[in-house]
Amino acid sequence: MRRAFLTLGLALWLAVPVVSLQAAPPSVVEPAVPLAHSLEAMRSAVRSGGPGKDGIPAIDRPRFESPAEADGWLDDRDRVIGYYRNGEARAYPQRILVWHEIVNDVVGGEPIGVTYCPLTGSALGFRRGDSEFGVSGRLLNSNLVMYDRATDSEWPQLLGVAISGPLLGRGLEPRRLIWTTWEAWKARHPETRVLSRDTGYVRNYRRDPYGDYNPVRGYYRPDSRRLFPVMAEDDRLPAKAMVLAFRDARSAAAVGLPALREAGVMRLSLGERAYLVIHDPGLDTGWVFHAPEGRDIDREALRFGPDGVSGPGIEGLEPVPAFQVMWFAWAAFHPDTRLIRESQPP
Amino acid sequence: MSAMVRLLGALLSRPASLAVILGTALGYALLYLWLVGDIAGGGRGGLRLAFPAWERAFESRGALRFEPVGLIELGPWVWTFSPLDTLIALGLGGLLGANLAGLWRLRRAARQCPVKPPSGALLAGLPALLAGGACCAPLLVIWLGLPIAGSLAVLAPWLVPLSCLALLLGLWRLAVWQSPGEARKEGD
Repeated sequence: MRRAFLTLGLALWLAVPVVSLQAAPPSVVEPAVPLAHSLEAMRSAVRSGGPGKDGIPAIDRPRFESPAEADGWLDDRDRVIGYYRNGEARAYPQRILVWHEIVNDVVGGEPIGVTYCPLTGSALGFRRGDSEFGVSGRLLNSNLVMYDRATDSEWPQLLGVAISGPLLGRGLEPRRLIWTTWEAWKARHPETRVLSRDTGYVRNYRRDPYGDYNPVRGYYRPDSRRLFPVMAEDDRLPAKAMVLAFRDARSAAAVGLPALREAGVMRLSLGERAYLVIHDPGLDTGWVFHAPEGRDIDREALRFGPDGVSGPGIEGLEPVPAFQVMWFAWAAFHPDTRLIRESQPP
Repeated sequence: MSAMVRLLGALLSRPASLAVILGTALGYALLYLWLVGDIAGGGRGGLRLAFPAWERAFESRGALRFEPVGLIELGPWVWTFSPLDTLIALGLGGLLGANLAGLWRLRRAARQCPVKPPSGALLAGLPALLAGGACCAPLLVIWLGLPIAGSLAVLAPWLVPLSCLALLLGLWRLAVWQSPGEARKEGD
């Protein structure tokens, strides 16, 4: 009898982690992210942001409304984080996400964690499988450290690599989010659904405690100071200047938006790999591709639609996840990053 | 302890002292709630009330910070109302008011005395004003753009208890200072 209880107890003890790992967010063993700092060094540099775990509540049951309804409370120049997949478009207003930082949603049939860190101005999407992401209340390089509720592994948002927990060292699968204005997003996606202020929590969604993006002021001013310490500093750009950032397993690059706007199309190399960066004038963002040398791109022939950019020379190119982020945070995670400030025609 | 109770009893029994305590409690509570972010701008004018989340009244969102249960709009202001945050604010404000009223009373009573009553406790209400704010930093630090949020975040859980303790200590010192004076007065 005693042996039966012991066996049952042991089986349950072993089964719980197995079940948790089965529900873990999809991840890869070798993330395509250069790690300038060791996982241990990053763990040591994590610090409390003030609130406790889930003190900033993720939105787990998001509700949506039509663009016409959202027009009643969103200004055209307000910032939104957009996502499009399989014919479904979503707009997540920045003024809601500044209070919640994570939305656990399902878009185009795929569960996704939409994450936003106000301190680093970064919006990144990740596949989440059957798990959900939550806000740990801790920061690394001023950046949101999230955790997944299946394994309790901790993931700095900008890296998407677990720095602690059972999934240590593994990388999440990113999904491209777009940082743009409400006016630009609804023009590109007239059928979009918009995250409702009916989040299940009471917050003052008319006020951003850090400042404002419409117009830019407070913490978001490019020349304002960061609040939390970082692992590396780089003064090639003002701390809060927004850059378009992307990387592969060995290198990282940041493109200044004024330079990208001016060039329209940029070609650059990171190590042995060549990349094409295309400015999207409608959304004022960039699309990045792996692109073999010698492929001609006619800027005038490019078309921009719900799926992004298309046109002669783009077919078959492999898209690269990219996102906009404040310069100081990108440089803190990737001190060796290449920075393109000047216009570089293809 | 009994000296402190006597002092409080004396303060609450006098209309002028009571008015100082209540006025300070209200003023400090409003300042505290503004600086921790519960009261902010964004109101659309007029008065609107909505209380959709009473079930969250005891949910914590940080050290001695609790989830709001409703939204009160008054003129240009919006108050995300948390009953427990409000109680904490009024409690701290009441203690500060008692310190102020006690100091005022003892200063008047001690005009002829070369030894002034202790007044340091009036600064005790300050730490709590840094206890809340935006999700990851006190509002004052954000507004001033000070790169010290990392250090403050470590202290955050202790700021309200620290203020509370310091205010109680201030009140106790006033009570102790008053006791021998009263004894002297009675002896005369």
